[in-house]
Amino acid sequence: MLFNSYTFIVFFIIILILHSMRFAWKVKKINLLIASYIFYAAWNPPFVLLLWLSTTVDFFVGRALYREDNKRKRKLLLVISLIGNLGMLSFFKYGGFLLDNFVTLVNTLGFNYHPANPGIILPAGISFYTFTTLCYTIDMYKKESEPVKSILDFSLFVTFFPHLVAGPIVRPNQLVPQFQSPKKATSHQLVNGLFLLSLGLFMKVVMADTFLAGPADAVFTAQNSLLPLDAWMGVLAFSGQIFFDFAGYSTCAIGVAMCLGFTLPQNFRFPYGASGFSDFWRRWHMTLSAWLRDYLYIPLGGNRKGSVRTYVNLMLTMLLGGLWHGASWTFVVWGALHGTYLCAERWIQQIRNRNQLQTPIYIPVEGKQAARASMVPSFITSLGTNRFVKMLFVFFFVTIAWVFFRSADFATAWRLLSSMFGRVNNGAALLPTLDIIKVSVITVALVGTHWLMRHSSIADLIKKLNWKLLGIVWAVMVILLVLSQKSSDSFIYFQF
Amino acid sequence: MQTKNLLKAGILGLVLVTTFILGWEGYWRSKGYVATYNDDKVLWANKRHEAYQSKEKATVFVGSSRIKFDLDIPTWESITGEKAVQLALVGTSPRLLLEDLANDKNFNGKLVMDVTEVLFFSDAPFVNKSSREAIGYYKKQTPSEKLSSLVDFALESKLTFLEESRFSLSSLSGDIPIQNRPGVFVFPSFPKSFSWTTYDRQTYMPEIFLSDTNDINRVTGVWAMLGGDPTPAVDGDALTQILKEVKTNIDKIRSRGGKVILVRTPSSGPFAMGEAQKYPKEKYWSQLVAYTKSEGIHYQDNPITKVLTCPEWSHLAPKDAKIYTEQLVQSLEQKGWFSTEEVTHNTLTN
Repeated sequence: MLFNSYTFIVFFIIILILHSMRFAWKVKKINLLIASYIFYAAWNPPFVLLLWLSTTVDFFVGRALYREDNKRKRKLLLVISLIGNLGMLSFFKYGGFLLDNFVTLVNTLGFNYHPANPGIILPAGISFYTFTTLCYTIDMYKKESEPVKSILDFSLFVTFFPHLVAGPIVRPNQLVPQFQSPKKATSHQLVNGLFLLSLGLFMKVVMADTFLAGPADAVFTAQNSLLPLDAWMGVLAFSGQIFFDFAGYSTCAIGVAMCLGFTLPQNFRFPYGASGFSDFWRRWHMTLSAWLRDYLYIPLGGNRKGSVRTYVNLMLTMLLGGLWHGASWTFVVWGALHGTYLCAERWIQQIRNRNQLQTPIYIPVEGKQAARASMVPSFITSLGTNRFVKMLFVFFFVTIAWVFFRSADFATAWRLLSSMFGRVNNGAALLPTLDIIKVSVITVALVGTHWLMRHSSIADLIKKLNWKLLGIVWAVMVILLVLSQKSSDSFIYFQF
Repeated sequence: MQTKNLLKAGILGLVLVTTFILGWEGYWRSKGYVATYNDDKVLWANKRHEAYQSKEKATVFVGSSRIKFDLDIPTWESITGEKAVQLALVGTSPRLLLEDLANDKNFNGKLVMDVTEVLFFSDAPFVNKSSREAIGYYKKQTPSEKLSSLVDFALESKLTFLEESRFSLSSLSGDIPIQNRPGVFVFPSFPKSFSWTTYDRQTYMPEIFLSDTNDINRVTGVWAMLGGDPTPAVDGDALTQILKEVKTNIDKIRSRGGKVILVRTPSSGPFAMGEAQKYPKEKYWSQLVAYTKSEGIHYQDNPITKVLTCPEWSHLAPKDAKIYTEQLVQSLEQKGWFSTEEVTHNTLTN
């Protein structure tokens, strides 16, 4: 079920009541587990079987992996888990994509092969819970932590409804210890959690769906070339929409868990305030970035195997990160762009470090120093506003990359990029003036807020605000939420 | 922030939100608005489930907006004792709705299809948008969505401001008068008072609309703009293709024992004249009825319905909808609609 649905409100009230009653801790955990299965089954009941399968296989394989000393057997167990998890993900998420590519290939080779559409339905959140269970078995293989003793705790770790379908992607050590002793939200946690839930819903329903989805959809589904203004507004609208949508979900998830007395890891930290591409990935979908770093980039060798391998590893990680988001080549290109950004940034950093070593006396003039560390031309950064300019530079390139992320195909992406950079004749005006005003105001406010808040957090802000002002802000968010009504859709990241 | 202050902020927020909701609801009620339902895919899907009732118990209606205004469901149900399942969708061609029912092997009931030529004979993408969305939603509706819709209906039945097309943030911001750039097309909005929808999906024009000439003129202005569409009416092979498609779907329903009949609901004034010019009755309506071997009930063939006037040229006012419904029931009765036997085909009633 969606956080932005009446069903969830009813469901959550029942869960809060049950969780506050004087049941034994084990009973409360069973309640939460059943609730989590109901939460998931509310989309498509049969897919709960996949969750059970994944949970059961990984619980027992994880335990055996930890106890087994025979290297061969351990590898075999790991392979079983990987085949189980990645096989399921490959079939449901990439089955159609692989088939399409195979058909294209054999037809190019001259074979006339046109199979029926397999019609595979993607189970909600499969990419998220697959990564959650995968990290557990890999940790067990490496013996980096002890296996979870109880299947109830393990099932709840995998299935806990706030994070189940769209993250944050949790690690066993972040959540399992919280199940070991009774948890009940303090009144501070409860009110704080409700505030975060309101904020998350406001971001999703009001900002993403009501204000930004319309212009973004209009521009990305336009069949003709557009004027640069319209193309830029549509792409900027999507930059805002994807942030508000996904960060909104994560904020809701953290808030819901907090209302029950649990802590989930932070997933976004004002990413558009980043002043570098690696900084961006430390702020955007932080739990996925950390997962890819720990379970892909570092096992590939990270930066330990020389300069060339480091670049290869970076690119591979970002390409697979792109593919994780969706079974389409446009997502791969999105990943490749970010990989290129990171490689370029690293290369410039290396040159800068080399130059520093070669310069016997270095007088650190802030602007010049930053120029050498970044891809921003030095004449810009020497103006003294280097970090802010770098942030705008990063935002510009991240926004360009979103074109591939959102476009249904390459033709759309090229058409849009051509429109954005004025490479077309007779581009059409599409967006109403009101949409242009909305997107402009929200983009400036979004980037400005991220810039100002880049060293801070929502929790810090809540602490600093006067209670009257906080009450008014909270009320305005809820009122706008009520006024937005049903003009809301599924969270974008559910499809991943 | 200390727990005490956080609690105080929460209580202040709650008080402000409650005050706003009460004030907002009271404001619109004081303007003459009442609680109505969102005429959206959720309500459509709710009614779509009722299409499986037996032929003796219900008649299903598909069409565009006219049948939603012109069929008075309480009048229908009180005369016939049958349920009216309203599946027509505003601004759409019913052809996709017909296809959905034709391909649904569980549907073998009675179907009345209203024909508004300008939409029925169009293949423009927008005429199928709502029906495509509604059918897709119905087929993929999750248990969670079904439960949400029940809570939603309960709230909509009580709260006026929950009518999305009138009072949502998008709708309200759309009311801001801002000039658009040349070449940007924005579909003109209808007055807030124009169309109200009941739980049965009947739509009606309330008294606050009918008594406001400005609002009526705004709606006729929209029809005038649509009437000025220079796209020629479908003809030749494309028309034959449409007729074939409709016949195939009607035959599918009949082959399962279902009944299908065509109706043409009233239109008036310049809009009716424009329709008659662009879609001459003989060429479109009569040909459709003949080609599909269906019975047809055209409002111009009945002396009572012929003189009914649509206040904004396209839909009947509630008092006339009652008259129209009584006449429709009579016509259907004459054609054996309420008997268990097949409606006689090959009889053209124009």
